[in-house]
Amino acid sequence: MKPALALSYGFPDGAMANLTSHPDAVGRITTRDLYGLQALDLNKFGALLVSMHVDQRFLASRAGQIAGFLQDGGTVIANGHLAYPFLPGMKGVHALQNYGLKDLAVRRLTDHAIWAGVSENDLTFRRGVAGFYGRAWHEPPEGATVIHALGTPDRPLDFIYRVGRGRVLFHGGNDLWQYGGSDSAGRIVPQLLHWMFSGESAA
Amino acid sequence: MSLAILDGGAFYHHEAIHGARYRDLFDRSIYMPELTPEHLEGVRLLIVPDRINPDLLRARRQILIDFAENGGTLVVLGENQAETWLPGVNWTSRPTNFWWWLEKDARPQQRLVSPDHEFFQAVPFADTIWHFHGVLRPPAHSQTLIDVPPDPEGRDAGGALLYDDRVTTAGRLIVSTLDPFYHHGSNFMPATTKFLDGFLPWARRLARA
Repeated sequence: MKPALALSYGFPDGAMANLTSHPDAVGRITTRDLYGLQALDLNKFGALLVSMHVDQRFLASRAGQIAGFLQDGGTVIANGHLAYPFLPGMKGVHALQNYGLKDLAVRRLTDHAIWAGVSENDLTFRRGVAGFYGRAWHEPPEGATVIHALGTPDRPLDFIYRVGRGRVLFHGGNDLWQYGGSDSAGRIVPQLLHWMFSGESAA
Repeated sequence: MSLAILDGGAFYHHEAIHGARYRDLFDRSIYMPELTPEHLEGVRLLIVPDRINPDLLRARRQILIDFAENGGTLVVLGENQAETWLPGVNWTSRPTNFWWWLEKDARPQQRLVSPDHEFFQAVPFADTIWHFHGVLRPPAHSQTLIDVPPDPEGRDAGGALLYDDRVTTAGRLIVSTLDPFYHHGSNFMPATTKFLDGFLPWARRLARA
């Protein structure tokens, strides 16, 4: 299996460091500066990890390279709100306005291996506070599998869709690799790594 | 004379700078990777929002320092590693307590040091209070606006969260550890939106005074 590529953005990223140092990831995730993307041969990598903190305006200037990577069977895992068009088929963000607790409840619409054994409650709340996992929704591309929605089923938060021989996992909130805690959300990181390195056959 | 802001290209910068709430306040937004001295011609006040890529700030530090030395006002917000590129900045990290407000009888540590400063006519002190990521030791003869006492676990001697420095350069450096652009732009913390509601119109008035 090819290594994954994580794009760095100038800051130390503790959550990403925890991901890359996970026993299931050691030696399998290469970190490179975002602004060096153009010079990289993405065919050497199986997956591209995009933090919520990256410069999306720059990524949008590399949208063709990213689309080509997907066509050829790559996996993109992207977090945050979409502000610039760097992913095929994606539309802009709908941030929740004047939201209350019920609007922030994470609802599972489809079971998926990455979130197996992770309770909706542990995604919705951290130390009793709601909203860390997501505060916005996106319209997924045609044919996407929606895993989680926010508040009501028509507000997709996590979804997966195919592009060519590749696939995109989009999480419209704080980076998925921030969820390394002791509750059931701590299952996300190892299960994400397993999915990421399982190749293009698994949706 | 005008108000300009650096744009780091992250989604939260996009929302805060180009979103409907504030976009009409800025005369110019400058995409950080493209910053040149020409962008700052006619600019009186430049905002460096929190979480601009510090590699880019270091690479272009002379443009920013020259701007202040030429009499400009530079506002530098938190999480920019300003201590690595901006003169006079001395910063100590403090582990962030995001949860202080959940503790029993929670009381914020922040202290209002300069209530008469014009900043507080625009931004109520209450709207400056959320978690913080470190403390600043202001240069001698600068004015501290907000500070916190020493860390209860002895990791630092306390320091400023916001100061106004008219000494280090020929212009003015307003430096803070606070990170309102990230939190407002990611639709999370209402206090940060209230902060920008006061701060950005004030910055515009300063730029046009």
